[in-house]
Order: sequence, then structure tokens, then C-alpha cells
Amino acid sequence: MAIRPILQYPHQALKSTNAAVVPSDPAVQAVVQDMLDTLAASPGVALAAPQIGQAVQVIVVDVSRKKGERGHGLVVLLNPVILSLEGKKSVREGCLSVPDYTGNVLRYEEALVEGLTPEGRVVTVSASGFEALAFQHEVDHLNGLLFLDRIESLSTDLFRRKK
Amino acid sequence: MDHFAIITAFGPDRPGIVALMADSLHQLGCNIEDTCMTRLRGEFTMMLMVRLPEGIVAEDLGRRLTPFTTPLDLAILCRAMPDQAASRQTPLEIPTFMLSVYGADHPGIVAQVARTVAQHQGNITDMNTRVIGSGDRPIYVMVMEVQLQEAQQADQLRQALEQLKPLLGVDLTFRLLESVTF
Repeated sequence: MAIRPILQYPHQALKSTNAAVVPSDPAVQAVVQDMLDTLAASPGVALAAPQIGQAVQVIVVDVSRKKGERGHGLVVLLNPVILSLEGKKSVREGCLSVPDYTGNVLRYEEALVEGLTPEGRVVTVSASGFEALAFQHEVDHLNGLLFLDRIESLSTDLFRRKK
Repeated sequence: MDHFAIITAFGPDRPGIVALMADSLHQLGCNIEDTCMTRLRGEFTMMLMVRLPEGIVAEDLGRRLTPFTTPLDLAILCRAMPDQAASRQTPLEIPTFMLSVYGADHPGIVAQVARTVAQHQGNITDMNTRVIGSGDRPIYVMVMEVQLQEAQQADQLRQALEQLKPLLGVDLTFRLLESVTF
């Protein structure tokens, strides 16, 4: 159980495919613990397994680490999938794995996420606002996507016409 | 020690301008770093920060580029960039705001808004404006990113901007830019 370095692009772990996991696998439990330790030592509110070099589908989200946010507190999800998204919004987003840069990305205000708890129970999490953004960002990591893949407008250009 | 220059260049928009500029700079041994390029109606405009190779100074770069870019009728200006300004720095956590201003077009909107921002020590770090609407009733739209050293200055600036609304006949919103890092 250890604090792992948070990998930065161009580390290829961030662009790889990640395997679904079986909760009873002790190796998975070790990854979860490393992610929790690493999150606790980081300035962020969420992590995905590839960010610590583990090519598996595990995310940890705890928006209560940010002042003024509560959400669902600490959520650990294995094999998470986003079931539905509501309410488009443009967000200026950054990532610990892509330092010193932010970009405007299209996200959604509400996200319904399904996954397994570390004990293997199926759960759905209905997240909104900041927490919904965190889930969208972390699930993207599991699919090898960075916010750079989603930048939709450059700087303050609000004038682009919808085709 | 690396040396840097800023190039501004523009010309009638057509396919191939960026390719030609980038290829010309590459042939001269320049390395393109940060850039910003956009189309202003029929003109394509470029601002490029480049790292200069040994043996080329910024003052010569325009002259060296011209033979490459003449076919596209580009106007080019180059200037050396101070080393301090060219160094990459971690962005500071400075409160950043978005200001949208729009209204019937008339001279002076940009000047008065920018003056007001400056009087409150606001630093405009990015800005776009566009004339929209029909020919006989043009609307002016301006969006700018403003950084303030202290978040407390925001209320005073907001009040000052509110007072501009009736004077300029514009609508505006001034809001904190939320940036999230995961």
C-alpha cells in the first residue's frame, strides 16, 4: 500500500486500454488501496487507475476533498460506465496528468454512473455539478481519453457557428 | 542560451497559409512554440512565438521569411522576445473572470470597457470581439478574460462595469471563470 506517482502525459499508460476487473482479485484490492493513498496525498479530488500506471478499470472520486463540495463523499467504482448524461455545459478543465494547461470541454451537469463497489456490489451513483464532472473525467481516463481529446473551443471564442 | 522572437503575419485567407509559414520557419531552422491564429473576416492572422536557430537574429527573420511568403501576400513583422518573457512558467492561481459585453454597435465600447478594467488593475489576458447582426443594425459582441490579483477587487470592478451599461447602451456580465482540475 503506497502513494504512487501520478503519471503525466506522454506516459503511454494514459492512452492505453484498461481491463475490467474482478472485485475478489487481491491485486485489484491492492490497486484500490494505492489509489486511495495516492489521492489522499494529492491536491486533487479523483483518480483513475491508469494515472498510477495500472491498466484496470478502477476510479476513486471524493469531491468532499474540495472546500464547499460534498457530493457522495468517497466513491470507489470498479468497471464504471456512464449510463446517462443530462444538461450540456462548457467547462474549463485541467488534469493532474497534463500540468499547466486547461481547455474548454463539453461536459454534462448530471451523470448517472454504474459500477461495482470493491465488495462486488452493483451501485449506481447519480452525480451532479462538480461531482458529475469528476466522474466524466475519470471514466474518460479508463477509455484512454484526456481532456485534450475533448477541447471544443479555443480560448474565449464563443462565436463559432453551429453547423 | 535559446533566443526567441514573436512573428505577426497576416494576409488574404486561403488554404495553405499555415503550411507555408510553418514550412518556411522549419527550413530556416526556427522552432514554432506557442501560437495563436485566427481569421478576421477575409484575413488570416497569425501570432507565432518561435525559437531562433544559431545565426539568425529576430531583426533578420522577417527579411529571411519574405522570399518564402511572398506568393501568399503576407505582411510580416518580427521582434525579439525578452528571455524572461519567453520562459515557460507554471500558471499562477490568479482569480480569472470572463466579461461579456454586447449592444448596438458604436465607437468607444472597447475603449471605455478596457479603460474601466485597467482602472481596477484588471489584466486582460485574452479577448475576442465580433460585429454581428444585420447590416443596418449591427451588434457588437466582446468577450474578454480578465485576471485580478485580488478577488476582492472583483466587486468594485463589477460595480464600475454596471455603471457603464446605461452610458454605453450595452448589456454585460462579469463572472468568475470556473476552472476545474481533476
